[in-house]
Amino acid sequence: MSEMWKITLRVHRQKEGEAPHFDNFTMEVNPDEYVIDAVERAWAFHDRTVCFRHACHHSTCGACGMRVNGVEKLTCITLMRDVTSNGATLRVEPLRNFPVVSDLAVDMGHFYRKMERVGARAVLPVSEAEIENPPGEWPPQDAQYIRLSDCIECGLCISACPVMATTPEYLGPAPLAAAQDNGIRRKPELLSVVDCEDGVWRCHSVFECTAVCPSFVDPARRIMDLRRQVVGARLRNLFGKA
Amino acid sequence: MDITRNQPSARRFWSWFIPFRRDIGSWAFALNRATAIGLTIYLFLHLIILGKLAQGPGAYDQFLELTENPFIKFGEWLVVAAAILHGLNGIRIILTTLGVGITRQKQLFFGLMAIALVVILIFTARMY
Amino acid sequence: MTQSTLSSSVSRPRPGENTWTWLLKVATGPLLLLVLALHFTVNHYLGSTSSGLMTYEDVIRYFQNPLIVAIEILFLVTVVTHSLLGFHGILLDMHPPRSLLVLSTWLHVIIGVSAVAYGIWLALTIASLGT
Repeated sequence: MSEMWKITLRVHRQKEGEAPHFDNFTMEVNPDEYVIDAVERAWAFHDRTVCFRHACHHSTCGACGMRVNGVEKLTCITLMRDVTSNGATLRVEPLRNFPVVSDLAVDMGHFYRKMERVGARAVLPVSEAEIENPPGEWPPQDAQYIRLSDCIECGLCISACPVMATTPEYLGPAPLAAAQDNGIRRKPELLSVVDCEDGVWRCHSVFECTAVCPSFVDPARRIMDLRRQVVGARLRNLFGKA
Repeated sequence: MDITRNQPSARRFWSWFIPFRRDIGSWAFALNRATAIGLTIYLFLHLIILGKLAQGPGAYDQFLELTENPFIKFGEWLVVAAAILHGLNGIRIILTTLGVGITRQKQLFFGLMAIALVVILIFTARMY
Repeated sequence: MTQSTLSSSVSRPRPGENTWTWLLKVATGPLLLLVLALHFTVNHYLGSTSSGLMTYEDVIRYFQNPLIVAIEILFLVTVVTHSLLGFHGILLDMHPPRSLLVLSTWLHVIIGVSAVAYGIWLALTIASLGT
């Protein structure tokens, strides 16, 4: 008989015309289930008006990002036993720094437009992807393959970034990481997009983006690399080299 | 529906200084920002006070007597501690921007803060 | 359709900070740390009593060395530049309206130039008091 825990799921609610508030749902969960399962259970068996976003349930689509006990998590891969305990209260809220559409679902439009602005690639050739132990030179039969980009555009990094909290215009970790992935040498038009007050220079090395990223993008490292690319490009321009 | 809630706003600057439940980087950021603001205010006060030197020995020595006040002494201790913490955290920022220690940035922070603590203790012992 | 209060200036980058201002901030940081260490050591640990510059006369005597005057002015320039660039950066983190940003930038420049000018005047005045 698998272990079952009794928890209180405290869900952020916000509908049109109502003040934001929390609703509590008491339920039994298997500690090896995921947080998204508990949220689904609240919707299925307690209140069909609970609104949340989810799709693949295996950390590929990036839809189910939420704040769990105040920390950004991809709820489809966050085990109950890692964030709560038997008899405890588990709080779920929408991601920070996005307009709330309803309850736990947020409007990602402005974020997606930023990703588009930097030409974020959803797929890229394996030879350009940052993978562990790449071959020195890709054999032609393998170089043809393409790979999904690590970034699943879940928005957890945007929610966790303290600079995003105070300015909506900062490009943010994921768009800057996507710009780094493209590279200034490959796409020189990105230089003016990222070398500005809302670009790389707004990052203050907090590293929260890397801490919460569920997909090994390591946005902070990429932003630091992008800074070096930007400085290199400006110095080259200054000394007249292309 | 008030959809402005939960959106970025300059009014949420207070969240920079409340890094509870966040990773160590947020604490480093809060510390760096708080010390930056404190040191900037101190800098301009210090420049103004040093003007007493141009007023002659009486004015300056009178000010030196004031610095024996325990509150002023504590304030001075705070300034030096802030400068050490801010400076070493700044070194962490430069190193990580150069790509040095970026995969070990937490350990880098703890290491530099340990150095800061030692220096602050030595300085405190000398001061008091 | 959710109405967003967010502006759509994604494609219009603002020039409030760039590579050069950031490089200046980062270059002045370690430089001022070095000069600060020197300044602090001399002010509080050297001198005839090994307790630093304890009186008015100690300070005047210290400023008779032109190298000291130069180092103190260097310290002043680097610390004022670094602190005002940093403070400006904090304001940029809050994405102020364009008019407020222009006013603030000018205020920072005026305060910075004034502080450096005042500091240089003070250093030279103190140095001249010993002659």
